[in-house]
Amino acid sequence: MKNSIKVERAKKNITQAELAKLAKVSRQTINAMELGKYVPSTVLALRLAQIFEVEISEIFTLEDSDWD
Amino acid sequence: MKLNFLFPNKFKRIGWFTLIPSAIIGLLILIYEYEPSFLDFNVPAIFVDELTFTANKKTFRMVTNNILNEILGVLIIISTFLVAFSKEKSEDEYISKIRFESLAWAVYFNYAILILTLLFIYDFAFLWVMVFNMFTVLLFFIVRFNWQISKLKKSASYEE
Repeated sequence: MKNSIKVERAKKNITQAELAKLAKVSRQTINAMELGKYVPSTVLALRLAQIFEVEISEIFTLEDSDWD
Repeated sequence: MKLNFLFPNKFKRIGWFTLIPSAIIGLLILIYEYEPSFLDFNVPAIFVDELTFTANKKTFRMVTNNILNEILGVLIIISTFLVAFSKEKSEDEYISKIRFESLAWAVYFNYAILILTLLFIYDFAFLWVMVFNMFTVLLFFIVRFNWQISKLKKSASYEE
């Protein structure tokens, strides 16, 4: 799954640490998601969408490999 | 409310402070077979298999036993649990994922080692393997989990 957390974060002009605080997770988790190493839970994904004030599908997109 | 089977973060420290001394003392009494007589007690036993030629097997009896190794065994197990299953300072869903992956890894690793020792260690030496095997699954977990967490902290320490 691809995500545009980094882009959204840049738009809002906030750091990983600030986003982590807003989303109530550790900075390592934000970093891992941006690097595509971790797929967040639905709850965390919804939290991020609310923080960025966008639809969840604008942040997360499925890839072909997600159907395997 | 999420049920995650974890203790609060502060118990991790208590766990380490109990685990290290009790593991050292436990090892020493194992090596030197130290059994102070003031810890000899009559204790209830579910199953007794006396090491005699008549090979008496009994159930639900009182037996005389030195309880030092029991005390240390329980201390070591409880403190290992506290170290292994206390929350990290910032326990979130990703940390939990790493935690449970590490736990699965530790179980696989522990039993792989157990199979190897079953096949290549015999007789009385195998008893030593069993003694250590009581604790190794959690020890392997602690090592693996903390290694993964420190790797994670290092990889996230620079931000672009």
